[in-house]
Amino acid sequence: MQWKTIFMKELLEDWRSYKWIWVPLVFILFCIMDPLSTYYLPQIIQAVGGLPDGAVIDIPETEPEMAIMMSLTQMSMLGVLVVIAITMGVIAGERKSGVAELILVKPVRYVTYILAKWSAKLLLVFVSYLVGMLASWYYVNLLFGEITIIEFFSLFLFYFVWLIFVVTLTVFYNTMMKVPGLVLTSTVITIMAMSVLNQIFSFRLPWLPNSISEHITTMLTEGSIPNELWMASAITLGLSLILLLFSRYIFQTKEMAE
Amino acid sequence: MSVIKVEQLKKVFKGKEVVKGISFELNKGRCVALLGPNGAGKTTTLRMLSGLLKPSNGSIKFQEKNALNDIRYSIGYLPQYPVFHSWMSGKEFLMYVGELAYLSKKEANERAEELLKKVAIDDAKNQRISKYSGGMKQRLGIAQAMMHKPKLLMLDEPVSSLDPIGRREVLTLMEELKEETTILFSTHILGDAEEICDDLLLLHHGEILESGSIDDLRKRHQSPKFELSLRDSANKYVDKIERLESVNTIVLEKGELHIFVNDIARARAEILTKAVQEDWPIVKFELSRTSLEDLFMKVVQS
Repeated sequence: MQWKTIFMKELLEDWRSYKWIWVPLVFILFCIMDPLSTYYLPQIIQAVGGLPDGAVIDIPETEPEMAIMMSLTQMSMLGVLVVIAITMGVIAGERKSGVAELILVKPVRYVTYILAKWSAKLLLVFVSYLVGMLASWYYVNLLFGEITIIEFFSLFLFYFVWLIFVVTLTVFYNTMMKVPGLVLTSTVITIMAMSVLNQIFSFRLPWLPNSISEHITTMLTEGSIPNELWMASAITLGLSLILLLFSRYIFQTKEMAE
Repeated sequence: MSVIKVEQLKKVFKGKEVVKGISFELNKGRCVALLGPNGAGKTTTLRMLSGLLKPSNGSIKFQEKNALNDIRYSIGYLPQYPVFHSWMSGKEFLMYVGELAYLSKKEANERAEELLKKVAIDDAKNQRISKYSGGMKQRLGIAQAMMHKPKLLMLDEPVSSLDPIGRREVLTLMEELKEETTILFSTHILGDAEEICDDLLLLHHGEILESGSIDDLRKRHQSPKFELSLRDSANKYVDKIERLESVNTIVLEKGELHIFVNDIARARAEILTKAVQEDWPIVKFELSRTSLEDLFMKVVQS
């Protein structure tokens, strides 16, 4: 099985380059950072000092739903950047270094090559994100109040749809370009542009991919899954599929050496 | 029987024809050198044959169809500067590419062991490739190209970047591999081609100028030639000799005159007569045959 061969090689490579260790750790940090610092804000302010005697600080109580959403907010900024950074060289790096010249003269199906790399990175992202969110869930339950297991997994999985899209978009640019840095820049710019579009058109088009986290907030406060969330997720998955098809097409028409 | 047949193969890069419609056939079991100076289009040709580049025109046909209908299944290719996953060990890499070519884990393991012995990196098989020397990498490169027992092994400048020892090792290895498969390798060094090859394709500015077996080419291009060296500057004799009827062309090389002639007897008489008449200070006057080196230089310089 060619797919398995490449998939296992990717996992081994990420293991030997310690990605399987640092990415989960970094994600744990991102996910627990904000809930913890919010909870301990009074103590932090006290320890830092500098407030005049008698000053009253009134910090509003934070709902557990808001606390766990803080983790997602961090994920959608720093987390997404890390996801792009670990994916930016997955194909482009091999082509730039020249290894691809050895690998792609073997009878490797291009679609297998792309999919194996895509799924290996997705697995790394999935596990790291799961570990990070579990840590956040633990602290939120401990410090702010209960998030049920159903709530947790629905927010976890819906947001993962967005991460699938980010990985796919990065892989897509990988098939177009040979320089990992360019892949990073292009992906970031695309996501920023999509976010602007989302802000302008979110009233008309409430199902753009970037709106997923807003809908998740609605889901948590209302206690049911809004239709827009289903729609946005379906569209995001559909876009990812289209990007994969395009990746394959671009890769096939591309010359592997110059 | 031919292994591969190439017809009117052409490659255009940004309006520049790098390979200008070349045609050739490679016969089974032969070792063929693709010889030419730098920039002749050797690498481009090999990359097209290996499927890394798409030809702008022309066709490449393998005589034997394989089950996958993928020419890459029938070829092994070593690029000029092979790059490996340097975090893998030599054996891991061989098994990886073997499995990519549809060997089972067990087959890949056996074949990897066999080839590691053959290319003499058995001792270092579990070391990371990043620790390998240049010669070891080149031999590992040949091993990875041979993993799936290709019908045609293509090597791009396999010895150009190696020191004399590494070079010798690779040439010996190629000598052994000739028994197993058809080899096409590019080089700009005639000596390497002459040493291990049966056939020669002489490529220059994207065109095949000469092709055939080395013996044939030698015979075909053997025109008689006199080598003449004199005690004083040879320059002033060039004109005089050129004026002689039996002399074809004359080349001055390292103070020695290479005189190409049609009729040996007549030319000898003419030159010697002249020499005696004018009392030339001759040091050496010798009859020799043109070598492939001369042919190569003639082709490349014209």
